[in-house]
Amino acid sequence: MTGLTRRHTLALGAASAAGLILPRFAIAQSDNRPSITIAVQKIANSNTLETLREQSNVGTRTFYSYAEALIDTDWGGDLSLRPGLATSWRRIDDRTLELKLRQGVKFHNGDVMTAEDVAFSFGVDRMWGGSAQTGQSGLFGSVTGGAVGKQPPAEVVAVAKRAFPSFETIEIVDPQTIRFVNKTPDVTLEGRLSRNIGIIVSRRAFAETASWLDWARKPIGTGPYKIAEFKPDQSLTLVAHDEYWGGRPPLKSIRFVEVPETSSRINGLRSGEYDFACDIPPDQIGEIEKDPRAEVLGGLIGNHRQTVFDKTHPQLADPLVRRAMTHAIDRQTIVDALWGGRTRVPKGLQWEFYGDMFVADWDVPAFDMNEAKRLVKQSGYKGDTIPYRLLNNYYTNQVATAQVLVESWREIGLNVQIESKENFPQVLAKGPTRAVRDWSNSASFNDPVSSITSSHGPTGQQWQVGEWTNAEMGKLSDVLESSTDRTQRKAAFRRMLEICEREDPAYTVLHQTANFTAKRKDIQWKAAQSFVMDFSARNWGGIRS
Amino acid sequence: MLRFFFIRLGRAALTVALVVTFAFIVLRLSGDPALIIMSVDAPPEAIAAFRKAWGLDDPIWLQYLRYFSAIGQGELGQSMRDGRPAIQLVAERIPATLALTLPALALKLGIGIPAGIYAALHRDSLTDRIVMITAVAGFTIPSFVLGLVLVLIFSVQLGWLPSGGQESWRHAILPVLTLGIGGAAVLARFTRSAMLEVLGQSYIRTASAKGVPWAQVVRGHALPNAAIPTVTIVGFMVGSLIAGAVVVESVFSWPGVGRLLVVAVSNRDLAVVQCILLLVAVTMVSANLIVDLLYGVLDPRLRSGAKAGGH
Repeated sequence: MTGLTRRHTLALGAASAAGLILPRFAIAQSDNRPSITIAVQKIANSNTLETLREQSNVGTRTFYSYAEALIDTDWGGDLSLRPGLATSWRRIDDRTLELKLRQGVKFHNGDVMTAEDVAFSFGVDRMWGGSAQTGQSGLFGSVTGGAVGKQPPAEVVAVAKRAFPSFETIEIVDPQTIRFVNKTPDVTLEGRLSRNIGIIVSRRAFAETASWLDWARKPIGTGPYKIAEFKPDQSLTLVAHDEYWGGRPPLKSIRFVEVPETSSRINGLRSGEYDFACDIPPDQIGEIEKDPRAEVLGGLIGNHRQTVFDKTHPQLADPLVRRAMTHAIDRQTIVDALWGGRTRVPKGLQWEFYGDMFVADWDVPAFDMNEAKRLVKQSGYKGDTIPYRLLNNYYTNQVATAQVLVESWREIGLNVQIESKENFPQVLAKGPTRAVRDWSNSASFNDPVSSITSSHGPTGQQWQVGEWTNAEMGKLSDVLESSTDRTQRKAAFRRMLEICEREDPAYTVLHQTANFTAKRKDIQWKAAQSFVMDFSARNWGGIRS
Repeated sequence: MLRFFFIRLGRAALTVALVVTFAFIVLRLSGDPALIIMSVDAPPEAIAAFRKAWGLDDPIWLQYLRYFSAIGQGELGQSMRDGRPAIQLVAERIPATLALTLPALALKLGIGIPAGIYAALHRDSLTDRIVMITAVAGFTIPSFVLGLVLVLIFSVQLGWLPSGGQESWRHAILPVLTLGIGGAAVLARFTRSAMLEVLGQSYIRTASAKGVPWAQVVRGHALPNAAIPTVTIVGFMVGSLIAGAVVVESVFSWPGVGRLLVVAVSNRDLAVVQCILLLVAVTMVSANLIVDLLYGVLDPRLRSGAKAGGH
């Protein structure tokens, strides 16, 4: 006998019940942090949250809350690189970058981040292990999202190879130090590591997950918020990761809800159901701001809108015609009339955060109708149709901008005809009507390799689909990708701009892209120069009473 | 009657096969799923890997044969975006859609039919005019406009109801109203015109002349005969239960089959689109089949005609 009486039993039972209830009650009482709801057009294009698969603008918006890279970007500032999960880094040689890991970083599953986790994040299982899944059984076979078991889908491997084309290995020097080793010299390693592809995830969590798809729906990272629930095409709920190395997150939870209609997002903001409404078109800003409780933030992001040329089209084979088209565009009027002056005409396909590589004295072709007409005349153009494949406002103001362009080109004697298309494959399909189309170009890190080479060089889409090639541009792309001589690289970049934007136009830049987010005015929060939304303590100023 | 049934069943199966074939061809000719799902900026190697993994680089006839052979084995394919079986994705969304369309159907029947009957029985009265003006308005206003107007009034201005989402029963009120008002308007107009046609028939006059009470004339003679065109419309509405709320689900961010269809079409998620279309075709064809059979029940002439044809 233990001597346990009925009174003792009741007392113990009551104490146990209180033990179960009281701590939760106490936590609930003490946690008076606000929760917010954000209405977005789309949460994830791929229905996954693994950044290796979800390479999209919409994915960029959410990942920054739940995952982090070794090297961070100052999204709210000058877009410079800053310590992330690595506190410092230094070059060992042209191929090797040594990084000191931040100590005491905890994953969402409570594990402390180790050098092994970093090695795993760039390792075979997560990034490179896809060779086994080539030659699957097809659409109605046993393919699970292209992934087999925990093997990542083949496209994940391809994305990783594109992001780190010469990756050799990660060396663990000691528990606090790792070395990222490239096969070839690369001055852009730091920038590449700062991309969201380079997030650090938990090795143990991956090992414990049943399938790649399960993992991709709930990756375990180190960000200030952890994934509580993801309902594809519906909502994503993040909750505070209170063991976050950067301090207790300011919000109890963040809920992204998918609201495809712009008017519904705005109405939800006005009715108080949403605290933020993303993807606001510029023509709605004035209407939203009539409500004294709302404001629209945002502005320039690292993306430029372009008009792209197919030089294999008979009417565009002569660069004089393309050059004429670039001079006939009144870009500033487009910015003023269609964007309310909330964006700008940039200095060609480059951004200031390129730092030393930014060619400050470069400009887009001047708006000069006389010069444009002269070039058309010189080309001997006979008035044949130049097709312009157009999507229905895939880009903000796309159709209105196209109408401005077509009228401008008509004024200099070019017969450009719009052909409406439903999707990009229709726009890109090779054929006699592929001549002019729209595109945009982002710089995913602080070097022109991330934009001009990746889009217009030999590995870029324009080259790959056969729209535009240029032998000198091909050689210059090699220089930009492999040279470590900064002077040589900058000269190569300048020459690339000359070729692609002036001599043998592959594209012409129209304007920088702007991204607008409407929100409750009483929330103190700053929009980033990106689709990234930063809800960490450093960017949350609380709610004004 | 059995021949009547089997002929219609054969036609139904052919219709379903044609719908599915048409969808299969159009989806494949109007855009490469690999480029759409992977995004146009994806590395060419990634796009090639995706095509190979999903068998999209095979000839279209081979994909078609594989598809029909898989359907024969009860396999409707897997979502390219989601990785799960398409039927599972669709099945998950059906309850959400029915949560809107079933109450909306009740609303349509509960308002539309009585309003149409009442208007017909009080032809050219003030009530008739009001009912018809309301019906025409309800019929002509597009559902997305009506939905947004309801949101502006009840969510933004009055703050009584949520503007979107699916968290509680309150979230369903505005989308159900949006769906119900338009459908009720359609039913009211059809019911009224069907009733008016029947009320003008000689057998109605005869029954009245023989002293049969007017209520009994309406119940016993007018309503059953006016039911046939109304049943046709109701059959169409029942057939639309699964995918009849595409626009409303988008406006109210309601995660049903309609929204899944929009997302799947825009992403060329082939298996999901084909699965939904197959389901919609089967539902619609089944509803029409039931309506055909109901014709036979409601109208003995059709039934006997079918029987005569069977000899």
